[in-house]
Amino acid sequence: MKILGISAFYHDAAAALTIDGLPVAAVQEERLSRSKNDPAFPLRAIEWCLDQAAVEPEDLDAVIFYERPALKFDRVLTTLLRGFPHSWRIFPKAMKNMVGEKLWVRGIISAQLGIPVKRVHFTDHHLSHAAAAFLTAPTERAAILSADGVGEWATLTVGQARKQTGGSTEISLRREVRFPHSLGLFYSAFTAWLGFQVNEGEYKVMGLAAYGTPRFAGEVRRILQRTPDGAFALDLRYFDYHQAVDAAYSRRFVELFGPPRDRFEPIDLATPLGQHQADVAASAQLVLEEVIVDIAAALQRETGLADLCLGGGVALNGVANARILREAGYERIFVPSAPGDAGCALGAALWADRILFGQPHRDCADHPFWGPAVEPGDLAQLAAEDGLPFERVGDAALIDRMVDAIGHGAIVGWMEGAAEFGPRALGHRSILADPGDAAMRDRINRDIKFRESFRPFAPVVPAEHAATYFELPAGGARLGRFMSGVFPVRPEWRNRLRAVTHVDGTARVQIVEPAMAPRLHALLIAYGRRYGVPVLLNTSFNLAGDPIVTSAAEGYSTFRRAGMDLLVADNLMVRREHIRQDHKLEAVA
Amino acid sequence: MMGWRAPIDRVVWGDPRRRARKLLQFAEVEAQGARDLFRTAEITRDPLLRRRLFAHGRDEVRHAALFRERGLALRRTLADPGPDSALGDGLIPGERGFDRLKVEKESMVALLAFIHLSERAAAHAFAAYGAALDHDPETQAVIARIARDEEGHMRYSLDELARLAPDRRRRAVWVARLRRLWRAYLRLALILADMISRAILTLLYFLLLPPFAWMAKRAARREAAGWHTCTDQSRDDGGGQY
Repeated sequence: MKILGISAFYHDAAAALTIDGLPVAAVQEERLSRSKNDPAFPLRAIEWCLDQAAVEPEDLDAVIFYERPALKFDRVLTTLLRGFPHSWRIFPKAMKNMVGEKLWVRGIISAQLGIPVKRVHFTDHHLSHAAAAFLTAPTERAAILSADGVGEWATLTVGQARKQTGGSTEISLRREVRFPHSLGLFYSAFTAWLGFQVNEGEYKVMGLAAYGTPRFAGEVRRILQRTPDGAFALDLRYFDYHQAVDAAYSRRFVELFGPPRDRFEPIDLATPLGQHQADVAASAQLVLEEVIVDIAAALQRETGLADLCLGGGVALNGVANARILREAGYERIFVPSAPGDAGCALGAALWADRILFGQPHRDCADHPFWGPAVEPGDLAQLAAEDGLPFERVGDAALIDRMVDAIGHGAIVGWMEGAAEFGPRALGHRSILADPGDAAMRDRINRDIKFRESFRPFAPVVPAEHAATYFELPAGGARLGRFMSGVFPVRPEWRNRLRAVTHVDGTARVQIVEPAMAPRLHALLIAYGRRYGVPVLLNTSFNLAGDPIVTSAAEGYSTFRRAGMDLLVADNLMVRREHIRQDHKLEAVA
Repeated sequence: MMGWRAPIDRVVWGDPRRRARKLLQFAEVEAQGARDLFRTAEITRDPLLRRRLFAHGRDEVRHAALFRERGLALRRTLADPGPDSALGDGLIPGERGFDRLKVEKESMVALLAFIHLSERAAAHAFAAYGAALDHDPETQAVIARIARDEEGHMRYSLDELARLAPDRRRRAVWVARLRRLWRAYLRLALILADMISRAILTLLYFLLLPPFAWMAKRAARREAAGWHTCTDQSRDDGGGQY
């Protein structure tokens, strides 16, 4: 069966295509439209997925949307009614938003693809998350936990699932916490209070938390309370997202934690104000961890299962994930490469195949590389036209030169094969650099990523060496596969890994197995052989505000703009010649 | 030519809160313009044009930094900087940069004509703002410096248009001019439509919703916080939106 999964209209739209139960293509719309977190109907992504498999829309057996729009409308309307009369300002906006487009998804899909409406199906938002996590994971039985801002009504679900290769699949979500009580929206309120963009800046809160002391944990526990049945409830007097147009938190929240951060002013951790903000971030992070670890542990006791599949935007919180692994009693935790809404496109398609149409389960390839491939020929042409030196080299020579360049302080744009599906660069669209030089971290933050100095960079390490450098609990390697866990760097290596060790001595490490990314693995091994530490700094190949690069032209553009030293697309290497290139640019300006 | 708006400019730029807000908005517009230009550079097949677009994009990045730096410096002198934005975005056409340009959907000739006109509008607007800023020489210097660059961008985009489409240059500029007018009309129409729909929906809110709101609140009081049982998915036929 050919099934197209779609997620759209909230944030980070995406499309994914499965054929006979296996993923063949998946990409976020932003990677093609070049508009960060693009929520629009993902027509470019759909076209690319279909082209990739040489499938026409009429060949599709089904198209499945990742959530139920009418049920979502029910939640929006009910929330507005419950908030009467305080919801009067948000009512026109919410109605125009829902009635203008989001409620007519079936018609939009049918019209855009030219397929009959009866081929368009829907599933639950959290079931899509659950399917994305479980059906791509190499496990036959697992507990399921998905948590995000909100889907239709659910904000967090727990359950369990089983599957057997060639056999049937069952995903059973047992319980849910419903809007407006939401861990995702709780965290987003702190994100907004700290002056970061909601749905984008949550990483920054997690990074900032490491600089703080959770001295406000008591206050945070007052607004995120545990219920007697083991779930949680927010004290809604501290939040405004359910009734205001432009605020996630209320005046009472401000009275409790102080005035929100001025988003135009940088966080200065040397000042009492900056430290206060870090302390609030640390407190929110701690309480989030306490709640989710406790829920995960209760689920483990209830199901007795050794594996946990985690989905939803909250699963991007690597610190919380690592604590679940350490404390909740699971042997392995599986977080897909795209645990957020984009990944629901793939989850919905797999759910439709296995459960809606009852097809036998087939094991999915355990990698994140479902996006468009880079074309080295395009890069060669661009470099030739601009007079930049480039060469095609074999794998061994390429790795040798890369090791040499990185060892001498070069920053490398690394593009290889198909792009990653999900928010993280996992070695196919990465910026790689020396992990041992703190000045390197500052240079990349300042000159290339243009981002806050408190945000850490991630290391990448071969699986067989990971435990040497990082304190991994049992199952840590699996969690590190898609960079989903934050683990301590071993004290004796922190100085050698200064550029990737966060202030609290941890790192969000990617653990590479040769089968998943053989060239990156070979590069790491060669680097280790030459310089003693098989670890590199790995950050996403993009500039601040841009999506991660997809094509060779985008990689080349970013390379030119960011002042990187070397650009690699498969076996093609382009070097930067600073003086000559700058001169050429000035001549035409 | 822009004499009619001098009093408005004096009022807008005389108020330090508005001045700071405008500069920070300009920084965002320039940063977005830079992204559009880099994107245009990524898709063009002409190497010379690509280099020029890169150079232009870098200028816009620099402008964004200059506007931001000056806007922040001004903002720090204010006891109360006020809200981040005015009603809507408060920007007029000359301040909109490339105005959400759909780079992939346009021909390179149309893009160049659009860039030319946008830069021209910006150059004129900045010249007018400079004249209204005698009381703030630092901001005036920033704007004068950027206005000079905008004139350079205006010239290179017209040169490139002439090089790539010598026969269609005039026509392309006229078409771009008409499209800018159409966009301005659409923007105005959308603002009006938004205001009307807001008014109608707000009226409906207060007229129709109260009894339903009462019922919803009553139901909400009965709903306990904590766990809820999920709906039975085994009966799901996958077709429904509910």
